[in-house]
Amino acid sequence: MASKTNEPVSTDTTVPWHVDVPESVVDVGCRIRDVLTYSSTYLVFIAMIEVLTVHLVLSIPPNPAPIVVGLVTFAVYAGDRIADAADDEVSSPERSAFVTRHRTLLSVLTAVTYGLAIALALTGGPIALAITLLPGGFWILYASDWLPSLGSYFKRLKRILIVNSTIVASAWAIAVVGLPLAFAEASVTPLAAVVFVYFLVDTFVNTEIPNVRDVEADEAVGVSTLPVVFGVRRTRHILYGLDLALVAFVAVALSLGILPTAAAAAILVGLGYALVLAWFVGRSAAPGRLAIAGEAKHLVVFALLLVFTTGL
Amino acid sequence: MFSPTSLAVPVLFGSVAIGASAAILAWRARPNPGAKPLVWLLVGQSWWSTCIVFSLSAGTAAEATFWTKVGWVGVMTVPVAWILFSLEYTGRDEYLTRRNVALLAVVPALTVLLALTESYHGLLYVREVGVTAQGSVLVEQGGIWYVVTAGYTYLLAVLGIVPILGLLSSGATAFRGQSAALIVGVATPWATNVLYNLGAFPNVGIDPTPIAFAISGVAYLGAIDRFRMFGANPAPAWRAKQFLFDHIHEGVVVVDGHDTIVEMNRAAAETLDIDMSRALGAQGTDVLPLNEPFRADGGRELLTVGTGSTSRSYDVAVSELTDRHDETLGYVVTLHDVTRYLQQQQRLKVLNRVLRHNIRTETNIIQGYAERTSGETAETITNRTARIVEISEKGRDAIDLFEDTVNDREGTSLVGLLERSLDAARDAYPEVEFVLERPAADAAVSEGLSVVVNNLIENAAIHNDGEERRVTVTAAVDDEQARIRVIDNGPGIDDYELDVLNSGTETPLRHASGLGLWLVKWGTEVIDGSVTFESNDPTGTVVTTTVPVRRSGLSHHNT
Repeated sequence: MASKTNEPVSTDTTVPWHVDVPESVVDVGCRIRDVLTYSSTYLVFIAMIEVLTVHLVLSIPPNPAPIVVGLVTFAVYAGDRIADAADDEVSSPERSAFVTRHRTLLSVLTAVTYGLAIALALTGGPIALAITLLPGGFWILYASDWLPSLGSYFKRLKRILIVNSTIVASAWAIAVVGLPLAFAEASVTPLAAVVFVYFLVDTFVNTEIPNVRDVEADEAVGVSTLPVVFGVRRTRHILYGLDLALVAFVAVALSLGILPTAAAAAILVGLGYALVLAWFVGRSAAPGRLAIAGEAKHLVVFALLLVFTTGL
Repeated sequence: MFSPTSLAVPVLFGSVAIGASAAILAWRARPNPGAKPLVWLLVGQSWWSTCIVFSLSAGTAAEATFWTKVGWVGVMTVPVAWILFSLEYTGRDEYLTRRNVALLAVVPALTVLLALTESYHGLLYVREVGVTAQGSVLVEQGGIWYVVTAGYTYLLAVLGIVPILGLLSSGATAFRGQSAALIVGVATPWATNVLYNLGAFPNVGIDPTPIAFAISGVAYLGAIDRFRMFGANPAPAWRAKQFLFDHIHEGVVVVDGHDTIVEMNRAAAETLDIDMSRALGAQGTDVLPLNEPFRADGGRELLTVGTGSTSRSYDVAVSELTDRHDETLGYVVTLHDVTRYLQQQQRLKVLNRVLRHNIRTETNIIQGYAERTSGETAETITNRTARIVEISEKGRDAIDLFEDTVNDREGTSLVGLLERSLDAARDAYPEVEFVLERPAADAAVSEGLSVVVNNLIENAAIHNDGEERRVTVTAAVDDEQARIRVIDNGPGIDDYELDVLNSGTETPLRHASGLGLWLVKWGTEVIDGSVTFESNDPTGTVVTTTVPVRRSGLSHHNT
């Protein structure tokens, strides 16, 4: 759940696939696509799927956690887009223009969605509330200019290598795994810990994928990411390493009987998918779509899990 | 785990949602004045509501009292944040020193401490009083310190409202809307709290103040979004007034009705060479060596400070300050440095003497010698010296024009002025026909107009070499102004002359032929009038001069 999407303007002269579709329909479709991608609304859907995956793996009955995570995801990511609209002019001009044009609406929407998420979290008790506040709190530390304003010693954590992606990954992994547990008043089991590690590492990888495309922009604004420091090729190798480490971790958890076979199988397929995507890092002509594909992996895992556990 | 007990609970959820949303918007509005304290205020009230929700959903009495105690952090954040917000938002942030903020936080900090340790002293007790049918634990709070802290909270609420109230009468719609929304936002929960403490809600079971935060949250959201609270901010207005007072070049001294100096700016302290802290509280007449007591009748007095060449002169003006019943509150004394003006006036007086006396004397002597001889040369000398005298008189007119106008308070009759000018012209230019078309009613005009009219008539008479020379003067008067037209049938004024006049300046290579038209231009400007030049049909010029009518001068009469 840490994606950046903005394709470069295509100079391809081939006839578009939608040439026979009425122009008004294409226009509406394009607008919907813009809203979903530039405002990061598609990430809301992905985040909710991740929480439902946790529900399935940990056998937690339905509760408001997916809705709360969805609302928080929208608030934090759209809020991040607003804060970074100026910096994004270099790397994502179309998204930057979209956010600038709808800044007021997005600002109010993000505030209201986070407010609703907090109110909903109250029904889950103090821990659910604390977890709900975590992504917002981490975002303030990570991306906003509040920390640097305290003094020259501090700088936006977003600029510090590994710390930036780790903060993002931690906040979301805690929210995705912790909220369903908090709402269900369930205790933290070894299985929950395994699922947490999976989401932590996976989110870290997904955070670094779009950074490959943003090397120049990140360098320009002083943000240290893996591609900025190690280059694209070595970043790809690091991502291979992380995915393979996760494969090994899942295998160990399966062999120890912590992770059920169905969950392990779904996750391993997902990790295979992630390894293929990692090969495309730095080689794809559409890095924005690569980032979305990385997030979409959770749909694959959830679908497989649903098939394996319910036999649908 | 949570079982709603009444309608109050959903509203509490609403108040948290709205409060948190407004807090996020306020956070994003940093560093606008008031944004940060508003975040604290909204976080405080949201936390208060949250703790009540957790208290109501608690499974045990211990848990319920714990959340009630922790809720005091929010309870006491709200009044402090409110007063800080009010001061910062209205531009009074000079009061927001670390020391003052720390002092404001003493009672709240003590309150939170006493709430958390209540079992040891009972100054502020928090205890279980029963369980509702739905299983919620009801908690009661009280004690001596509860009364103290309630009083302190209400005091800060009122103090915070005072500066905001001032904006209700602002000329800007946005500020009126903002202040109204803010007052609703703060008054609703506090009024609810006062009524609760007075026992107006015996059956609610909880302190309903956080429920009212739902309304205040909506009000704050409205102020931020609808009335652009952080897009149009009144903070600079308050600071600007103080800045203007402190940095204006004119010295300003404010005295109360008992002649005590209550305010003074830096310029006044420097002018009077006095230490500001010593002057405040002193008698105004001791510090300001004026000849007469303060009076605000429009009269002015000259104050000279220092001696010799380093002395400076100040024009002292006194304005009365009154309350809404027109009772005198005090006086504002302004000291305007007129040293340079007086020096220029002195130079003009010397120049006037030279033009008036010395040139005339010297030309008289030359003319006397010229008359002893005869012939064309003698005649030329006589004519040229007469011309020199004429030019010096015009120069003198120019100097008199400014001086007379400054001293001319009453004004003079327009008809009388025109008649005098035309009588003089008829004597000087008998070959020219002069016609006066009088206005329907007379009016008082500045004496300075005579210089303008004299020069226009003279110009029209001299520069006309036709066979039937005619100059017509017409005048029309309304309530506001008098319009005088001088019409001739001469050859017309050269465009080059008018261009130079309109440009307002001359150079050695580009200049008018004399002083006459300059006197017309300067004269109308000095008396707040205007002048236009048009061509007459078939020949000649129509010059229209418009000047203001003096209201306090002449009483209108039919002529």
